[in-house]
Amino acid sequence: MSLTTEKASGAVRAAESDTIVNYWPAYWTMICLAVFYIGIRIYEQYFGWKAGLDSFAPEFQTYWLNLMWTELPLEFIAFCGIGGYLWKTRDRNIDKVAPREEMRRLLALVGWLAIYAFTVYWGASYFTEQDGTWHQTVIRDTDFTPSHILEFYLSYPIYIIAGWGAFMYARTRIPQFAKKISLPFLLFFAGPFMIFPNIGLNEWGHTFWFMEELFTAPLHWGFVFFGWFALAVFGTACQVLDRVIELSKEYEADVLSL
Amino acid sequence: MSISTEAGAPAGKTWKSKEEFLGCVLLTDWILLVVLFAVVLGSFHIHYMLLAGDWDFWIDFKDRRMWPTVAPIVAMCFAAAVQSFLWQKFRLPIGATVACLALLVGEWINRYDNFWGWTFFPINLVFPSALIPMGFWLDVVLMMSGSWLVTALVGSMGWGLLFYPINWPVLAQYHQSAEIDGVLLTLADLIGFNYVRTGTPEYIRMVERGTLRTFGKDVVPVAAFFSAFISMLIYFLWWKIGTWFSNTKYIEAEDI
Repeated sequence: MSLTTEKASGAVRAAESDTIVNYWPAYWTMICLAVFYIGIRIYEQYFGWKAGLDSFAPEFQTYWLNLMWTELPLEFIAFCGIGGYLWKTRDRNIDKVAPREEMRRLLALVGWLAIYAFTVYWGASYFTEQDGTWHQTVIRDTDFTPSHILEFYLSYPIYIIAGWGAFMYARTRIPQFAKKISLPFLLFFAGPFMIFPNIGLNEWGHTFWFMEELFTAPLHWGFVFFGWFALAVFGTACQVLDRVIELSKEYEADVLSL
Repeated sequence: MSISTEAGAPAGKTWKSKEEFLGCVLLTDWILLVVLFAVVLGSFHIHYMLLAGDWDFWIDFKDRRMWPTVAPIVAMCFAAAVQSFLWQKFRLPIGATVACLALLVGEWINRYDNFWGWTFFPINLVFPSALIPMGFWLDVVLMMSGSWLVTALVGSMGWGLLFYPINWPVLAQYHQSAEIDGVLLTLADLIGFNYVRTGTPEYIRMVERGTLRTFGKDVVPVAAFFSAFISMLIYFLWWKIGTWFSNTKYIEAEDI
């Protein structure tokens, strides 16, 4: 779907067009992620029961641990790769960004934020509560259960990578975020990021202290505390909107008349 | 979706035309609303499931003392924070309802697709608590009064007191008594005993205990009033937390 004001098409005209916003990369990323998550949910439905009950069984190694040993390095590479690419291609003349180009980058950031929000839903909501029901069905003999392998070590790193990409995009391309560090954006990224290290506390506690999975047990409250910081999306959205308003002063009356 | 123009805007200008500006802003507003909804959903859901989740997951945890005490207090945090943001920044009195709706969307997807679809617990055992009428109430009080102080006092009182009555139409049938092998128990207890949950053995099921039977044997009003009282305090605190998370401060790079 596209909204354009140009009538002609073709390579030459396309090259000359001056696209102010294109959300299709964000849409496609979310579509691909949704297909991927649905795919692993089907995998989980089948191989959770077939090969995920006994961590000492050879099939557990084949179908679950191999998955984990594959996903973790790929996630680390993606994290470093995205951060490195965005840093390497940063705008080295950030003081000279034209208003239209700045607006284009602000809107691209909204696309990044949409991807981040989408992955936060899958990680914090879908796979986290799903882990609850697996715990209530199977007595685990390992920290690396099928649901943990997809929750802690797949869906959480994916939202961390998306948040890191959004943060680094803003830091390297948008003047207001490049010159200083946005406190709400930093919290919006760093708070949910800290949920990942908190897994260490969770697994340590369940290994040595509290085997049951009462979901409201204090052992789990670290996840809650760091999850609160996602509310910094409020301030981040306000910062983006404030700048959009500043760059669009000439049409303020038109917006107010809507 | 892309919005293009044939040529760039005039030098120093952001927009080529008013049409381009309006189309872009409307589209981006919608995307930002979806972003806010998804983030509130994820954040509220992990908060709620790890502070009140056990009472929300299972029908045999939905008792007359702990559930109506804990669930409204825990849910109030995000209702107040989202209300704070949407009211102070946009004068929209919909924050509590939006927060409750977001949470319930996440919960229902999970209960169907995972609790039932993956591990085969019946929906009768795992349906989530109703919250949206409480959100309506809190938002209506804010809209009518225009005051977060009045909302904290009146709205929060109603928030706590409404919880049990709005859930009762669904819950009542499960609180009917049954006698099984000489033991008196509720239908909810019976369902729970038949679906053993390995991570939550019976000895850590936290349901009503105690001896006082105020108001002619019923303990719910005491629990509801206590919940409402704490919800007031939570509202004050989380309204401010929502305000703080709405800040637009910048810090110097060397400060971190």
